[in-house]
Amino acid sequence: MSVMRLGHINVRVLDIEEAVDHYVNVNGMIQTHVDPLGNVYLKCWDEWDKYSVVLSPSDQAGMNHIAYKVKSDADLDMYKTRITEAGIDVEEVPAGTLEFVGRALKFKVPSEHEMYLYAEKEYVGTSVGTTNPDPWPDDLKGVGAHWVDHALLMCPFDPETGVNTVAEVTSFMVDVLDFYLVEQVMVGPDGDIQLATWLSCSNTPHDIAFVGGPVSGLHHLAYFLDSWNDVLKAADIMSKKRVKIDVTPQRHGITRGYTIYYFDPSGNRNETFAGLGYLAQPDRPVTTWTEDQLGAGIFYHTRELVESFTTVYT
Amino acid sequence: MHTIFVKSEEEEYQCREDQHLLVAMKAVGKSCIPSGCHGGGCGVCKVRILAGDVERKVMSRKHVSEEEQQQGISLACRVFPRSTVTLEIYESTTHQ
Ligand code: FES
Ligand SMILES: [Fe+2]
Repeated sequence: MSVMRLGHINVRVLDIEEAVDHYVNVNGMIQTHVDPLGNVYLKCWDEWDKYSVVLSPSDQAGMNHIAYKVKSDADLDMYKTRITEAGIDVEEVPAGTLEFVGRALKFKVPSEHEMYLYAEKEYVGTSVGTTNPDPWPDDLKGVGAHWVDHALLMCPFDPETGVNTVAEVTSFMVDVLDFYLVEQVMVGPDGDIQLATWLSCSNTPHDIAFVGGPVSGLHHLAYFLDSWNDVLKAADIMSKKRVKIDVTPQRHGITRGYTIYYFDPSGNRNETFAGLGYLAQPDRPVTTWTEDQLGAGIFYHTRELVESFTTVYT
Repeated sequence: MHTIFVKSEEEEYQCREDQHLLVAMKAVGKSCIPSGCHGGGCGVCKVRILAGDVERKVMSRKHVSEEEQQQGISLACRVFPRSTVTLEIYESTTHQ
């Protein structure tokens, strides 16, 4: 496995000032750069690379691209060959095309999302440093998220016409990019249609997730918090700041995570996510959720799927 | 405070000038307009304003075109009333 983690996500926003205020003062990110086009780059205090979120001014919400960091430059050559062999066009963009990032591979995964792989991004260090560090820095803002943890992408899915890009993108991530399947939701009369998948490239239950829906889009990007207490406090902060909460603190059956779903000012869903859940391993048996228990899989306490889960996204 | 008439659902509620139409609706436990992201991004709250003065914040072009906007079509979460408002639910172009 040489994809290490989610490197960054580029999100479109309707009002850049409102967006920056949210990502800084609610999520607790630190602004590290603004490029000449007005894109704003941010990192969390516990991240060491230059940025993990890029906010792009736009007339619509949603995701421009998602980027994963691989271990070494040579991995890019290996993946370029493998992606090409999988029949997917891949473009190699020179260093600096993505600001502060080395050469990168750009391609579209089968669910139509644009993805980049890169090996290098400018190092700036965490807010506590590497020598005798304190466990957390002073002056944290908002929920003070540690890092961007994962994203959930919505993928075109219509079993009646035989369209299932969840299954296609899952195979791609596993066969080509060396992710492994951790949990899945199987639906249909025979329970053989993959509606949703959670995949890891590390030891956490997911580094990316895919759910079927009418059109391709961004369901949410998630931030890591330490504990259930932090999740509760995060919800207090969101109410204080009049942030639109979609789902109040709750446990996911899938991944066992403690969660809040909420929205940025342009309607992009964010999540604060706590709890390791379990140690994910490539040989850990895959967990399967059946269609009749999907509610409990997503929202373990209510055991009810809220309609907005699959209809509201950007 | 202004009265919001949701004609297609035969419902009404009160909304302050500094509240958007969905925040005031949800605050009194109503759900006559579909509610989602409250940020003008997801498109589920699409309505047609039939009468009344409103102020509108920027909304996603993916869900409301310029022409539609001129015809009074809006995302309710981006609309702030300046008088009594009458509206109807507009058939959603989003993911349903
Ligand atoms: S609720 Fe999402 S656009 Fe209004
Ligand atoms: Fe999540």
